[in-house]
Amino acid sequence: MPGALAAVSDPALRAAFREWILRVADDELVIGHRHSEWTGFGPDLESDVAMSSIAQEEIGHARAFYEQIAADEGSDVDRLAFDRAPAEYRHAALLERPNGGWEFSILRLLLYEQFEAARLGLLAASGQEPVASLARTLVREERYHSLFARTWLERLARADAEGRARVQAALDSAWPDALGLFEATPADGVLRAAGILGEAPEAQRPAWEEAVRPVLQGCGLSIPAGPAREGGRRGLHGPEFEEMLAQMTEVWRSDPEARW
Amino acid sequence: MKDATAGAPPNGAGGRWARPLPAPADVWAVFLQARKRDPHVHVGDVHAPDSEMALVLAKENYARRDPCVSLWVVRAAEIYATTADAAGMFEPATDKSYRFGGSYRQQQRVYRGAWRLSHREEDQ
Repeated sequence: MPGALAAVSDPALRAAFREWILRVADDELVIGHRHSEWTGFGPDLESDVAMSSIAQEEIGHARAFYEQIAADEGSDVDRLAFDRAPAEYRHAALLERPNGGWEFSILRLLLYEQFEAARLGLLAASGQEPVASLARTLVREERYHSLFARTWLERLARADAEGRARVQAALDSAWPDALGLFEATPADGVLRAAGILGEAPEAQRPAWEEAVRPVLQGCGLSIPAGPAREGGRRGLHGPEFEEMLAQMTEVWRSDPEARW
Repeated sequence: MKDATAGAPPNGAGGRWARPLPAPADVWAVFLQARKRDPHVHVGDVHAPDSEMALVLAKENYARRDPCVSLWVVRAAEIYATTADAAGMFEPATDKSYRFGGSYRQQQRVYRGAWRLSHREEDQ
């Protein structure tokens, strides 16, 4: 079956569209892998199962988007997911940060899901099949991810002074990276001009802030000022990502030709 | 409203017949409805500080594979149960077959549907 790129004949537009889909897939793969690191270490058995299930769904979404690219390039999804240099990954830095405490993972999930739901909306409205239909299907699962994050965050932040302080520290470190989700590259301009991307990244940010600010403030948290930390969308990643990538690809690299 | 089963229940002859389930306060019983018009069936428990968290955890622990259209949670300690002493009360002493609705077709469908739900293979 042809993937997302088959219908786009202009080479520059096709490259920009590929870039967008790769971002989506990389974001989902990287946060999914971070979440999978909680398996066996969650704060209680039930939340451990739930977070592991969320991780599986995120990696499943990554796979679905990698397939869109692989189908048109004659490659396979494992190679796309695992066989790239760190600088070829397009996820935002927020997603590669190590988990640290549960509160950081929960807070990151909340900030990311709001962004991801809106982005799936943009893909759904892109007019490009089969990606638009795929986005409409996947958004169903993001609702629970948001609900899980919000339910946990409210209880962590409202429990006592220590809980609030720890969530605030997580927010202080995550916020500039979260703003980095909206980093724009030349690909965004190309997609905007072609009418495939309905809203430039900087125009997406106000609606996101409007959605997350009341939740955070309702938890008694103060939102840091300061600029976005960017670079992820252009392939600039930290040593933490190199470590993560080495671990994530270890089994695959042991025998890239193996059929699983 | 007076709770007849709280504390020491009226036991009468034959000993204690009712009691609350002995469960810690953070244990919630989860009831799952697989399809509209099915009854909610007890599928297991979750630990949670409140009802909202209990529902959030129940969703992913009990509804991530099998079909589900609705979940209930209730604090397990709020469930009252008959004791083993009460078992005798459920046994008929005389022939009660005149009470069975088995010859009515609709009744048979209801009974069989309920029996299937309460004897699902995965519960055995």
